[in-house]
Amino acid sequence: MPKNAKGRDIAEIIPAKCIGCQLCVGECKVDAIRMENGVAIIDSEKCIGCGKCVDVCPSNAVLFEKIRKKKAVIPAAEVKPGTEANIKPEYHGVAVFIEVVRGEVSDVSWELAGKARELADKLQTEVIGLLLGSNVGEVAKEAIAYGCDSVYVMDKPVLAAYFSRMYGRALVSMCEQVKPEIVLIGATPLGRDLSSVVATQLQTGLTADCTGLDIEPDIKLLSMTRPTFGGNIMATIWCRTRRPQMSTVRPRVMKMPVKDPARSGEIIPLDFSADGITVPQLIEFLPRAAEAGGVDITKAPVLVVAGKGACDAKSLPMLEQLAQVMGGSLACSRPVIQAGLLPYVRQVGQTGKTVAPQLYIGVGVSGAVQHLVGMQGSRKIVAINIDKEAPLVKIADYSLIGDYKQIIPELIKGFEARSSQLKNKPQSNLKGSQA
Amino acid sequence: MITIVLRGIFCKLHIVCCIKQVPDTTQVKIDPQTNTLIRTGVESICNPYDIVAVEAAVKLAEKNGGKVTVITMGPPQADSALRDCLAVGANEAILLSDRAFAGADTLATSYTLSQAVKKISATEQVDIVICGKQAIDGDTAQVGPGLATRLGFEQITYISEVISASKDKIRVKREVDGGSEIIETKYPVLMTVELELGLPRYASLPELVRSVRQEVKVWGAVDIGANIEQLGLKGSPTSVKEIFAPKTRTGGAVIDAQGNGVNQFLDTFFQKEPEVVKEIWGGGA
Amino acid sequence: MNETFDVAIVGAGPAGISAAITLANAGIKTVVVERGEYPGAKNMSGGVLYGHDLGQILPDFTKIPGFPIERNIIESRIWYLSKEAGISVGYRDSIFAGERKQNVFTVGRAKFDRWYADQARKKGALIVPATVVLDLIRENGRVTGVQTGRADGDIHAKVVLIADGVNSRLAVTAGFRPDVKPEHVALAVKEVIELAPEIIDQRFGVSDGNGVTTEILGAVAGGMDGVGVLYTNKASISLALGANLADFSKTKLKPYDLIETFKKHPMVAPLIAGGKSLEYTAHWLPEGGYDTMPKLYGDGYLIAGDSAMLFNAPHREGSNLAMLSGKMAADTIIEAMKTGDFSAKSLSAYNTKLSESKILQDMKKYRGFGGFLYDHKEIFETMPEIVQFGGRELLTVNAESKKTKQDKIIKKLRKDMGIPRFVRLMWSGFRAVK
Repeated sequence: MPKNAKGRDIAEIIPAKCIGCQLCVGECKVDAIRMENGVAIIDSEKCIGCGKCVDVCPSNAVLFEKIRKKKAVIPAAEVKPGTEANIKPEYHGVAVFIEVVRGEVSDVSWELAGKARELADKLQTEVIGLLLGSNVGEVAKEAIAYGCDSVYVMDKPVLAAYFSRMYGRALVSMCEQVKPEIVLIGATPLGRDLSSVVATQLQTGLTADCTGLDIEPDIKLLSMTRPTFGGNIMATIWCRTRRPQMSTVRPRVMKMPVKDPARSGEIIPLDFSADGITVPQLIEFLPRAAEAGGVDITKAPVLVVAGKGACDAKSLPMLEQLAQVMGGSLACSRPVIQAGLLPYVRQVGQTGKTVAPQLYIGVGVSGAVQHLVGMQGSRKIVAINIDKEAPLVKIADYSLIGDYKQIIPELIKGFEARSSQLKNKPQSNLKGSQA
Repeated sequence: MITIVLRGIFCKLHIVCCIKQVPDTTQVKIDPQTNTLIRTGVESICNPYDIVAVEAAVKLAEKNGGKVTVITMGPPQADSALRDCLAVGANEAILLSDRAFAGADTLATSYTLSQAVKKISATEQVDIVICGKQAIDGDTAQVGPGLATRLGFEQITYISEVISASKDKIRVKREVDGGSEIIETKYPVLMTVELELGLPRYASLPELVRSVRQEVKVWGAVDIGANIEQLGLKGSPTSVKEIFAPKTRTGGAVIDAQGNGVNQFLDTFFQKEPEVVKEIWGGGA
Repeated sequence: MNETFDVAIVGAGPAGISAAITLANAGIKTVVVERGEYPGAKNMSGGVLYGHDLGQILPDFTKIPGFPIERNIIESRIWYLSKEAGISVGYRDSIFAGERKQNVFTVGRAKFDRWYADQARKKGALIVPATVVLDLIRENGRVTGVQTGRADGDIHAKVVLIADGVNSRLAVTAGFRPDVKPEHVALAVKEVIELAPEIIDQRFGVSDGNGVTTEILGAVAGGMDGVGVLYTNKASISLALGANLADFSKTKLKPYDLIETFKKHPMVAPLIAGGKSLEYTAHWLPEGGYDTMPKLYGDGYLIAGDSAMLFNAPHREGSNLAMLSGKMAADTIIEAMKTGDFSAKSLSAYNTKLSESKILQDMKKYRGFGGFLYDHKEIFETMPEIVQFGGRELLTVNAESKKTKQDKIIKKLRKDMGIPRFVRLMWSGFRAVK
């Protein structure tokens, strides 16, 4: 146990564990902690050994003898059952913002309705749809079919197109009237833009891009888990004392629920006043350029992904053919984009798209962390690689070790031979995959 | 030359860029044995989206006349990120550093920044605030919109191109699902930018020397007239319950593709994964 | 750029910064150009510094806030290793924990160089990072500044100090120094292994921030002309291994493999057990010695530190020679400022200062050492085996008498090496360092 010149027991930081969150800096009463190169450093002469930094450290990076066995920053036991859950008892229900863009509902809204159902059941409360737009009556009915018990609707021409401040005021007003204890929003460009506007106005906590949502037993708080540091670590976040607890979730992270047109529920129109709000002028909408093939790699059931090991213009047609035969799309990792062989919309990974196809086939993809965070949600992963030590092989469900130039034609042939047994001929499944 | 002078008279924009110093996450690795972050040798850099924001701001100021002020909230070491911005053409830099700011989540961060922008605006009115789309360490993309909301500015996120700007309005292209929008708005406006907007210039030596020498102002909680309850840990509604290493998938069969390996794999796949096969292709016969 | 300086220093390492501090103290307008993102970004060393030498530049350095010491060294060990065994000799003295504290201490270079550069900055030197110097500017055969890789990047100065390290492109481009010959440099690789401070205290028998250095000779580099070091830091151990670059290319041995093998040596393994590798770096060491030194001054320029090949190989002293030479270069410039004469003749005072100091005296003393090691490969291969044989014979207690054992050892020495060769080796070793 280190002591300082005054003979006091002092705390120490384990640099390798410190994640640079600075929680301890704020917690230290004697200003003994400073940040250096992203790691906390304790001034041994200032430290009074109070142990506050130990308690607050989320990554157990503080060494201190008086350390108590500590699992969480806020031990669940410290939060008395009922207290925080009922901190604002007038808030109840799990709300889902239903995103409508140019007349179409974003799938993520229904995925969230499914998750909301699960959370609401744990809380023994209801699922609420929050719907903004113009001529969205049918969407409201659909929301009920996807699991909402009630849907609040602001159906106004001024809400036909999305503008941050307009939608912000509408959703804030809805939350103030409905008072849901949880609000879930899709982490789409629109959702990420809107959620922060709303959370700021409601002065509540917002956790972005969650990959896991659950209700903490006993205390009934929403546990929001998200990747951080480029997917290198996961953090579980609570919003303890303010309501609603808000979270955004990326598309295709939650499972799409089954639609039940027979379900019944209540549709409640709400009034909306846009008085005093100016919006920018939308001059033009340009649909995504055709050169990108209109491909949405996030929607393909099968993805054939070209990596650094298959970064060769001559090989891409072969990979494209495999994707077509299987009814999927061709995607790639960063090196292929950097080589200029495929457009940016086909990139999987931290700086590209997050995908979760049923079947991911990585061809010459080594599996750098930045790529893995964008595809780890895939249902089944197949790695085709010459190197059996490649990181992707370590996580793939199936790995084919060998030269892809030999493997791919065999795969195409072998799959075609078997496809006659399949109910849906993959070819019919092929939408927008032609490059 | 004359045009520049005229523009200087008729159109002077004051642009504030909010930047963040972040660990270079591409260098962060997990120790597979202990599941802790290996941070040694990981450099702190100016968030890549933010440096793009600064370049965009400098270009706007060059074209239309005006001034770029960069602000960041962080520890004293964040000074170096601010100097990077000065080197690529920002005119002034302010470091918001105070123990009371530490441990801030996005709500408390946007509060702190908004107080600073208000203070800046009190002496020199701010027309445009530009932020990076998101920071690469947290990836939340929340601070920009939060700041716009607090300031009451128009908000335009995910900008990939500045098409034109004049003394009272700006026209930009922004990226959304399925395409892009051409948007025009009046000032004041807060914009968040995508990387496509363009990398920063390589500073000339005199610019670099200026950035090294220039004074960086340091403002604390008192300087920006902040309510202590809304700052740092105290002002943050969210708190970290725990942190853990991501669950990694464990590898399955490793098949040598020589000989009949590919066919073996296909047989195994169809046999062992009927549910996946069903989901994709409606199932086998 | 328009602005001119009195002195332009190339390289923000120990030599360049020592000069900058000294010059700034004298109120001389100084700019330091560093190619790394920050001072220290490109540096590496085992991590040992010497209080006396640093004190020449920064008296009272221990009192400057943030002084980044790792451990104060109270014991110096020397190991002579065979592949599976080793001899250890150490000297520990309480004086080094007391009145001669900080005689020798370890630092982390990345941290130290930043802190050191900050001292220069605080005194008024301008430090320009992330900028490469491409060439010198000359007028009428005199050096009058440097040309950098940035736009409007010429810096004019009365005198230029070249301190950009062992593989100084600048000194070579300018023709002041030939390209480094592989046999004149060592390739050193270093791994830093994290361990809890208490564990280091226990394993090395130290406390209160004190530590131990170990210099290692023998069969450490796969038979190459190589040496190793093992230094204690606050919460880590630096393990480094260096061998002649020419040997590396001959033997095709990979530095990384060597250090992995080294880590498994029975003398090393227990000291680093349970540690976690934090970083792995590689660097050149200018081991050629006195005879590979270039001319260290000319019209309008001086060369210091590793650029000047100032390195005391047997004592592993490099950073401190860099510091002292940087200071002497600065002192020379300060004198020249008084007369305004920056000609080679005026700057030759630098050479006099170096010659009168321990730097060149030590360099001369050991001028034959590098060649001696390079020419006597048996030190790294045959000798360690004989030592191991002898140690095992002497220390294994069995039915044989000690006399029999001695005879066996001498027989082994005769057979593997031959007595005349052994005597010659000892004699040339002595000559190389006398």
